[in-house]
Amino acid sequence: MTFQAIYTLTDLRILLRETAPSHEFDANQKAQVQRLLENLERQVGSLKQEILK
Amino acid sequence: MRCGNGIEARQVNELFINIDPIQAGGRLTADAMKTVIAYGDGYSVCDNCRKPNRLDYITKPPIAEFHRDVAKWLNMDAVRTVPGARRGFQAVAQTYVNKGDPVLLTSLSHYTEFLAVEEAGGVAREIPASDQKLVTPDAAAAKIEAVKKEFGRVPVLAFIDQVDYQYGNLHDVAGIAKIAHQYDIPVICNGAYTVGILPVDGKALGVDFVVGSGHKSMAAPAPSGILAATAEREREVFRTTAIVGDVTNRKFGIKEPEMMGCTLMGATLVGMMASFPHVKERTKHFDRELENNRIVMEALLSIEGTACLSEYPRKHTMTRVDTTGSFDKVAESHKKRGYYLQSALEEKGITGVIPGATKVWKFNTYGTTRKQAEHLAKSFTEIARENGLAVSS
Repeated sequence: MTFQAIYTLTDLRILLRETAPSHEFDANQKAQVQRLLENLERQVGSLKQEILK
Repeated sequence: MRCGNGIEARQVNELFINIDPIQAGGRLTADAMKTVIAYGDGYSVCDNCRKPNRLDYITKPPIAEFHRDVAKWLNMDAVRTVPGARRGFQAVAQTYVNKGDPVLLTSLSHYTEFLAVEEAGGVAREIPASDQKLVTPDAAAAKIEAVKKEFGRVPVLAFIDQVDYQYGNLHDVAGIAKIAHQYDIPVICNGAYTVGILPVDGKALGVDFVVGSGHKSMAAPAPSGILAATAEREREVFRTTAIVGDVTNRKFGIKEPEMMGCTLMGATLVGMMASFPHVKERTKHFDRELENNRIVMEALLSIEGTACLSEYPRKHTMTRVDTTGSFDKVAESHKKRGYYLQSALEEKGITGVIPGATKVWKFNTYGTTRKQAEHLAKSFTEIARENGLAVSS
């Protein structure tokens, strides 16, 4: 799960590179960011559950 | 933000459009970044090293398969990974060059080719580039004849840069290789700016070796690269060890002296491997890259007094321009002197131009999106107008 969260952030990092310097996202990119952040929240949630149990 | 021990987290490519001429093709893919995180530990790729105990035989991760795939992709017969293109030059020079041997380079050759020749004891002889900064087969033939006259023998090896680092010009490697082979001179093609950027076919070029740079052009961490050889040359450069210890009587299996045993390990290797499918794919779309370069070049050339020193229209995205008659004129009276250009570019979210350079400088648009190319073009003309330079529409 640690890797999954880091990899999600890596995908986000790539999006930042592709849209530098303005980081203005088109509709597709916005949807992608939304999906990545939701995944990240879920992954962090799972980490909390697993590590802090 | 710091990574540790005073090392700042580098965010150049996240915050800016980076047009540094040597960095563009080496930016990592997401997959490479992910593998680097997982395989950062020293001997990480060696978990499943089994007999015959050589890195390029490891199947998990699929290193052996990667070697085969790269050879096939370049239409060559054998490949080894190396810590940078320069180590490829070194391996080949060490194999063919002895003390006092003449070696053919060009007036646009990268310095590491010279160092490889020097280390092997060779003598450098350069094919001069034409006024258009191109190295031609005719010039190669003339130089070989001149060397023959001077040394009483032909060069033992020829280094030809497919795209040179100075102008980013595309040279007729196939034509030069054909001439060199008429004299039985093995040819090493320096593909540091082409392998991983545009399609490269070693057999079509007719060369004995192709060298590529992972960190320059294959979206891989530094130092990384590849050395590809034909079947004939493979036996020579990738020969296996024969040495025996006199006390222990030890032998070292199939380790290769020119590769110093095992080659590229850990994060550099898996980074290059992870990027490879993306790199293969991107070379098929080099026309898009040239189109982005054209957008930027047309904007630059619309600024009065700006000239393109590289061949034009461009055949590569790394380009050398002369702005002595434009941006440098502004520098003469600007309070920031020559640093105003870099400063103005950074304000527009652009980096990679040498600080203080306003006369002759290089940039590379490789890897930019169309939108980023348009931003670059607009930014250059805006900076020109803001500083009183004439811009044609």
